[in-house]
Amino acid sequence: MGEKPTVEISGEVLKGMKKKVEDLKTLMDLSYVISSTLDFSELISIVMEKAKAVMEAGACSILIYNKDTNKLEFEVALCEEGSTSALLKKQVTLEMGQGIAGWVARNLKPLVIPDVGSDKRFYGDADKLTGFTTKSIIAVPLIGRGGLIGVAEVINPKKDYDMEMFQLLCRQFAIAIENSLFHKESIERERMKQELDIASAIQKSFLPASPVFIKDNLMISAKNISAAKVGGDIYDFVELAEGGVGVLIGDVSGKGVSAAIYMAKVSSDFKYIARLTDSPSKALDRLNISLAGSPRGMFLTGIYMIVDTATGHFDVSVAGHPPFLWLSDGAVRVMSLPAGPPVGIVPSEYPVASFRLDRSDRLLLLTDGVFDVKSRDGQRLGFDAVVSFVKGHMHEEDLIERLVDFADDFSGGGDRADDLTIVELRWGA
Amino acid sequence: MKIDITEHNGAKVFSLSGDIDLYSSPVLRKELIFFIGKKVPLLLVDFRDVSYIDSSGIATLVEGLRGMMSHGGKLKLFGIPERIVEIFAFSKLDKVFDICGSLDDAVED
Repeated sequence: MGEKPTVEISGEVLKGMKKKVEDLKTLMDLSYVISSTLDFSELISIVMEKAKAVMEAGACSILIYNKDTNKLEFEVALCEEGSTSALLKKQVTLEMGQGIAGWVARNLKPLVIPDVGSDKRFYGDADKLTGFTTKSIIAVPLIGRGGLIGVAEVINPKKDYDMEMFQLLCRQFAIAIENSLFHKESIERERMKQELDIASAIQKSFLPASPVFIKDNLMISAKNISAAKVGGDIYDFVELAEGGVGVLIGDVSGKGVSAAIYMAKVSSDFKYIARLTDSPSKALDRLNISLAGSPRGMFLTGIYMIVDTATGHFDVSVAGHPPFLWLSDGAVRVMSLPAGPPVGIVPSEYPVASFRLDRSDRLLLLTDGVFDVKSRDGQRLGFDAVVSFVKGHMHEEDLIERLVDFADDFSGGGDRADDLTIVELRWGA
Repeated sequence: MKIDITEHNGAKVFSLSGDIDLYSSPVLRKELIFFIGKKVPLLLVDFRDVSYIDSSGIATLVEGLRGMMSHGGKLKLFGIPERIVEIFAFSKLDKVFDICGSLDDAVED
């Protein structure tokens, strides 16, 4: 049997190999630890501890890039003095290009400054706040799939640091931080969605419990579809003490939660005011006073009519709202009446007009969501097109549904940009 | 939406173009509030290149009007194009805003 071949390895090479094995172990440990949590704060602390240990540094900090403000914000700073982190997090932000971290963020390149005293880019305010003395600094950009995430800084590292190793670590940090930020955002989105669901349910409770109302010869039906789950359209039917029925259609400026909250105020004010008067003009006038000086210039456009369910006589007042349509005797009339401005903007009077419905007459009250709908190529449907459609389908029983389909078909199935409401009144059908 | 802000005979002129809607009106609001803060006496809004305005855009202008009036300033609109005349007609905005035909009319009034 021959002797086993022997390989001689110099002490230097062996030391290098041991170092590589240790580095690999550190990287493996690190990827295990950083993949163990999606909690942003917890993750950042772990990352900082590891960076500080690997680089045997006096202190470490991570600044996160805020896309909204285009600034770098201290997320965490770690050194022997425990209070440092909170101090910086509250008080120090850097512009892009400002200080060492700002330079790294702008240029997306790492920077090694052995002596900060001789580098003009160094921004000393953090040291002044913390009492820490920065002598040397290594700063590396944290770049994720979506671009810059932030900057990692190691302060006063030991002399024979391994830059390659630190950059490898930073790549891992970037991925982990990005994942946890995505996670944080998705939790926030889910929370917002739930809030919107609740707001939507509350808002619907302000509309009549049933979209159909019948009294004597009058039948009212309504359709309301919100654009962004909660919207600013409103309709209501109110039985008045004198025997008439008040019918309101309205559109609050804006969309979303703010419009919905305003709509809730409009709705409760209207329900109260409507029972105090049998004049639509006076009702709009009072509503105008109660909504005067609304925040952010918010307002309500609307039509309010009071119908005598025994005779078909109705009084109507308009506040900056699109005309209603009167389907009678085979014709469609566009009822563009003298009107006041939207409610809630300026003191004004609301003229009243009086009419009488004949057997089989229909009135269509609508909001601009019906005709402002946009096609995929950016064209708007327009009021005239809606009038033409109604003329062509005025004898259809399900005219409201057909009109909704018409608007939807025009939009090509795109997301609804505005709320859509149609209220139909039928007499003696 | 795009906003160009220029000066004309001591008045600030906001030339708007594109759609003034829920998404673009916050930018307009920021600019209006800035100049209201400076108490400019006359603010003119040029509508000639506006393609569409929704109720959020109108509300922003209402807020701007109130802000201007609070220090005795004036806000006027001019050059309302044919394509959005219907929106102004339905909303009866002529009862709210001082609406002029041209820049010269707006300055002279």
